[in-house]
Amino acid sequence: MTDSDTVLRCEAVTRRFGGIRALKGVSVDIAKGEIFGLVGPNGSGKTTLVNCVTGFYPPQEGRILFEGADITGRKPHRIAAGGIARTFQNVALFKGMSVLENILMGRHNLMHPNPISSLFYPFLARGEEIAHRRKVEEIIDLLQLESVRDEAVDVIPLGLQKRVELARALAAEPRMLVLDEPMAGMNQEEKEYMVRFILDAHEALGLTVLMIEHHMDVVTAICGRVLVLNDGTSLALGPAREAIADPDVIAAYIGTSSDAA
Amino acid sequence: MFYRLSGIHHTGYASAHRLWSVPADRWQVVAVLALALLAPLFVSDLYLGSYVLPWLVWSAAALSLSLLMGLAGQLHFGYAAVMAIGAYTSIHLAQAGVPFALAILGAGLTSAVIGTLFGAAALRVKGLYLVMATLAMQYLVDWVIVNVPAISGGAQATLRTPDVTFLGLPVETLSQRYYFALAWAVLLALFFMNVKRTSFGRALIAIRDKDFAAAVIGVDPFRFKLMAFLTSSFVGGVTGAVLAFCYYRAVTPEQFSFNVSIQLVAMVLVGGLGSVIGGFLGAGFVLLLPIILTNAIADLGASGWIDLSQNLMAHLPLIFYGAMIIGFLLFEPLGLAKIYDNVRKYFLVWPFRHSGS
Ligand SMILES: Nc1ncnc2c1ncn2[C@@H]1O[C@H](COP(=O)(O)OP(=O)(O)O)[C@@H](O)[C@H]1O
Ligand SMILES: [Mg+2]
Repeated sequence: MTDSDTVLRCEAVTRRFGGIRALKGVSVDIAKGEIFGLVGPNGSGKTTLVNCVTGFYPPQEGRILFEGADITGRKPHRIAAGGIARTFQNVALFKGMSVLENILMGRHNLMHPNPISSLFYPFLARGEEIAHRRKVEEIIDLLQLESVRDEAVDVIPLGLQKRVELARALAAEPRMLVLDEPMAGMNQEEKEYMVRFILDAHEALGLTVLMIEHHMDVVTAICGRVLVLNDGTSLALGPAREAIADPDVIAAYIGTSSDAA
Repeated sequence: MFYRLSGIHHTGYASAHRLWSVPADRWQVVAVLALALLAPLFVSDLYLGSYVLPWLVWSAAALSLSLLMGLAGQLHFGYAAVMAIGAYTSIHLAQAGVPFALAILGAGLTSAVIGTLFGAAALRVKGLYLVMATLAMQYLVDWVIVNVPAISGGAQATLRTPDVTFLGLPVETLSQRYYFALAWAVLLALFFMNVKRTSFGRALIAIRDKDFAAAVIGVDPFRFKLMAFLTSSFVGGVTGAVLAFCYYRAVTPEQFSFNVSIQLVAMVLVGGLGSVIGGFLGAGFVLLLPIILTNAIADLGASGWIDLSQNLMAHLPLIFYGAMIIGFLLFEPLGLAKIYDNVRKYFLVWPFRHSGS
């Protein structure tokens, strides 16, 4: 892997919460177009790493580079504007809005929200709203959300909510997509759909994907390489099957929780 | 049933994006507007001037506050001060000979600047402290107005609004003032609806609902909360000017006291946060109900049905009104607007019980 291929680089990222060291100098490079898996037992620091990358919890030590630019300590909205979109482990949709509005919200950075345009709606806003509605409908098609388009987000099943959140992230036209356990709490059928959608989006939009995932069958099926975290340190890094088969990794999993399998 | 969704098919996004995509709603709007336009012909001057006109202006005030409280989710306990700044600015500008249209613009801008400054300070803190910061605005502005004679004309003074013309149209007689207030209320209602269906309004609702999720798709929470303060303070200042020129016509600092700020918050809560129809319903409720109640109780007392002491009679409406506010917060937090919406949906999907949306 040459340097110009690297989209995201984490250099010795360390993050503490009070006395807890959630990440202890984790380094990883993610290449353009990769579907990269982040695995590890509960509490091993996966979400924390993602929070460092997306600016929620800036690391206290180390650097994070996105497409060569240092984004360490940047505010989340600026990192989002720079081309990274994410979803959350616990769905974080806007309850006061419909499915359609939630996905439209994803296009925030591509629109020009301001009170003057709203005031002169017919002249300044309508064209933009309709143009972006078209784009959103393409994503609704891609993720098969037509039937719930106008529903309030809190009345649809969890599996669909996760799909809406993916749609909202894709609507931003990011270059890198970060997914925190996109299949948590899903049944087999929903999982298969989700895998399909992630692969479709990856292919159709040419994305780089960083994905936290507990389901090892999913990880080995779609991830090229994985990083295994344990207790804030990296345990193994490499092609999915090899990293997961690593004796240290097996020991870490058996030693902690059983729900991680 | 005439009030149905069936048979309405959107053939393009433009038709789906209309403000009232159900024909029955459109007819309702036309009917209400026609009534409002004809009101000076069939409503007596007494009722027009002391009920309908103030109701319109306070509805505009509730809508202005609801932009901030309902859409962006920022409590403001000093909104009467925002309106006071607008009222006093417009009067002084008009007295200095500035055309009324510009005086109103100046009122909006002055309120926007001062309101946003306090907003910026308030946004540095959270929750209860935000409330304290807006309270501080109320008391600071009150104090400055009362203690700077150049603004209030002295501690006990009343400032009279000069006669003005708006772009050549005089705003003097009762019906002229009524139409002016109506025009502002309608314009503000349209603006509010347009904010809600555009990216600006969605961004505000997004930070209200989940600020971290809003940030992750690129919304700068601080910037948009500040824009909410700016927009809301601007229209609040204009509403203050409209209140002064169309209704009070003689302005004193007490008309913009802390009590008024509380009443405004009550209007927004009772009507329904972030709802246009709720702004009108909430203002009507908070403004008119105590008056109607006082009259009703006085009538009952006079006819000998009940025998109440003068003192209790004076307080009964307040008790009732307080109970209603608590009742709404407990049982229908989305306010009167939600009740209206439920009735509307009932007809939309009749004979079925539940609608898809
Ligand atoms: N906001 C926070 N405050 C305090 N501790 C935290 C916070 N976020 C994460 N942690 C701690 O960091 C460690 C790693 O958590 P996390 O990254 O969520 O694990 P994972 O996603 O791998 O299950 C845990 O011990 C957790 O308690
Ligand atoms: Mg996690």
